[in-house]
Amino acid sequence: MLDEEGDMNEDSPDKGSEQEAATRRWFLKVAIGVMAFLNGLLLGIPFINALISSPAKKKPQWSNAGEMNSLPEGQPIQVKFGARTEDAYHYENVLYSVWVIKHSADKVTVFSPICPHLGCHYLWNQEIERFTCPCHASVFSLDGKVLYGPAPRPLDSLPYKIADGALFVRYERFKVGVPEQISV
Amino acid sequence: MLRKIEDWVNERWPLPDVVHLALDEEIIGGARIAYTLGSAVLIVFTLQALSGIVQLFFYVPTTDHAYDSISYLRTKVPFGWLAHCLHYWGAQVMVILVLLHITRVFLWGAYKKPRELTWLAGVTLLLITMGFSFTGSPLHWDQRGFWIGEVSTSVAATVPLVGDFIKHLMRGGEEMGQLTLSRLFVMHTAVLPVTLIALFGIHIIAMRRFGSVGPWDEKRRLQKGLFWPDQTFKDTLVGTTIVVALIALAVFLPPRYTGPADPLDISYIPKPEWNFLFLYESLKYFHGRLEPVGTVGVPTVLILILVLLPFIDRNSERNPLKRPVAVTGALILAGIIVAMSIKGYLSPGFAQPPVSPKPAASQERSVPRGYGMNMPFTGISEASPAPPESAARTSSPPSAETNPQDATDKGLPGQAAIIIGGAERGDPLFQKNCSPCHGPSGRSVLPNPGSAEGKVPSLNPIDRDNYSPDAHVFAEKIDRYIQHGSVPAGSHPVITMPAFGDTNTLTQPEIANIEAYILRLNGVDRGQVIHPGIEPQRFFLLVVVSFGLVALLLAGLWNKRQSRTG
Repeated sequence: MLDEEGDMNEDSPDKGSEQEAATRRWFLKVAIGVMAFLNGLLLGIPFINALISSPAKKKPQWSNAGEMNSLPEGQPIQVKFGARTEDAYHYENVLYSVWVIKHSADKVTVFSPICPHLGCHYLWNQEIERFTCPCHASVFSLDGKVLYGPAPRPLDSLPYKIADGALFVRYERFKVGVPEQISV
Repeated sequence: MLRKIEDWVNERWPLPDVVHLALDEEIIGGARIAYTLGSAVLIVFTLQALSGIVQLFFYVPTTDHAYDSISYLRTKVPFGWLAHCLHYWGAQVMVILVLLHITRVFLWGAYKKPRELTWLAGVTLLLITMGFSFTGSPLHWDQRGFWIGEVSTSVAATVPLVGDFIKHLMRGGEEMGQLTLSRLFVMHTAVLPVTLIALFGIHIIAMRRFGSVGPWDEKRRLQKGLFWPDQTFKDTLVGTTIVVALIALAVFLPPRYTGPADPLDISYIPKPEWNFLFLYESLKYFHGRLEPVGTVGVPTVLILILVLLPFIDRNSERNPLKRPVAVTGALILAGIIVAMSIKGYLSPGFAQPPVSPKPAASQERSVPRGYGMNMPFTGISEASPAPPESAARTSSPPSAETNPQDATDKGLPGQAAIIIGGAERGDPLFQKNCSPCHGPSGRSVLPNPGSAEGKVPSLNPIDRDNYSPDAHVFAEKIDRYIQHGSVPAGSHPVITMPAFGDTNTLTQPEIANIEAYILRLNGVDRGQVIHPGIEPQRFFLLVVVSFGLVALLLAGLWNKRQSRTG
């Protein structure tokens, strides 16, 4: 750094004409522009990419809701099961509850526990063999059809799989208060 | 049209003056590589600001999630690894460049009248840079950063009279905790950046007022260069070289995971960042009542020397060869600082074996981070689209709430399984807790009479059922054994695996570190990048090829111009 003789600059006035200096400076400006642009591009694209990318689409989470053997046949039963939810770097254990009606060893119906009217938790009334919602008195049949009350659509059934004698449920929520089943 | 817009703006805002201030300067003696250091600092600071902002979109300054949010950024956000690793290396390089810049200015005698204010603003900028370095590392809330924060705030407490107050102010309380992290975070991302930009303004305006000082040799001063584009070109060249070097460092030497902050892990011997090592070393020479001499005296004297330099050294001579006292003094001081830094670097630190056995496990152990309590996931469900095999085997009991004891034979993965541990930290923990049965490096295993296999299972290589090339899956598999223990198949196995997690024998961060180590034994990197955007090494290749092509293009352009004029 101290070596004044080994200077890097080429600007001695006797080195060339005004014309040459102008050409050189034109070139330097182009070079600065190109290099700065490339630096910006090579870092800018990744950084912007980091921000616009959305997290990998969540695969449907199948939760083990229990052994098929433990379910009574033809009788709705409330099944609770734990699942881990993942939101970026937050992992939480949540407890879900669904209604399950077992028809045979490999056929069940799984209902979301949420009333499609306004989101209350409905119950099974054993005496009248109907699902009834305590909030606004909607009544549903065993297969989920609306028999009475303000509910705009039948009970929401959830996808399920049976493997190795265990029931797997994919928990989902749907928009309430509308006649169509819209996943939220 | 463009002209019109320009005129419109010019009538209302002094654009030409600002451009003039930024670019128009005659460089006495011509442009030089030596003069690029200041611009290089500015370029790296800009890079720090940008990569810092990218990180802010993902990072949270909370003790329970800071570490995981960085892990997430580095492994699951496209180019998150680039933002984080560039920021890490940029921080190191920025300190080096500031020091080189200040050395250059000193040798050129550029602090002398009338440039004292430029110098003073520069000294303050140096201190702010050190402040960035100081407040930055604890933000990760990993083992390394936590202990740096712990010790350096304790150092502040040795200041006579007001020490406790300062420590309290820095920590936001007595203990390192959430309020400390919040404070460091606000300093690092709000207070220091704003201060730095303000002082940079003072620095650059003062610098432009008198221009760069130029060579001390009168003959060489006759040459003239221009800041724009002569010096700017060299600045761009150097800046580009630094950017490419930083990308190379980020790609080939990413900072290691040291595991989440764990105040209970007393085997960890903290050391400061390299740029504070000389202070760390100097503390060793002052004991008892003299301690403040090391903690306060030494830094104060150093700062005073820098601040007072232009007022003490008022001789107008700038040639370093004709300033024997100043230059010799600086050389001695720099020599002492370098020697003490090296000594501090070599003194036993990270690599030292545990100093004393850990306290006996007890239920009362708790970690501020929230990992201290062993909280195995109840009713876990695998995130797998096809449940039959994986989920059915590893998944939960029918109803975890009503039947927690029935959690399959091994139970569920604990908190540690989602933490990216540090293999280096896991190594000593493994040797202490696991190698008695599994052997050093998990290889030479003990016989286990009464078990079906007849010996303790090897961990290196681990049996195929428990292996996965996916670090997260792999960690979850082995985590269940470490958390809940295991009884090997067989009539009466003599040795059974203890439940390190359930009994709180090991904290969750410790288990995470051991898992990272076991994964490494099996050739799996716990911190493997899952969504890199572009694979790091391929990205580096892309950068090199891009700049290579541009260099060729520019060379071609230059030749064409030359032949036309010549």
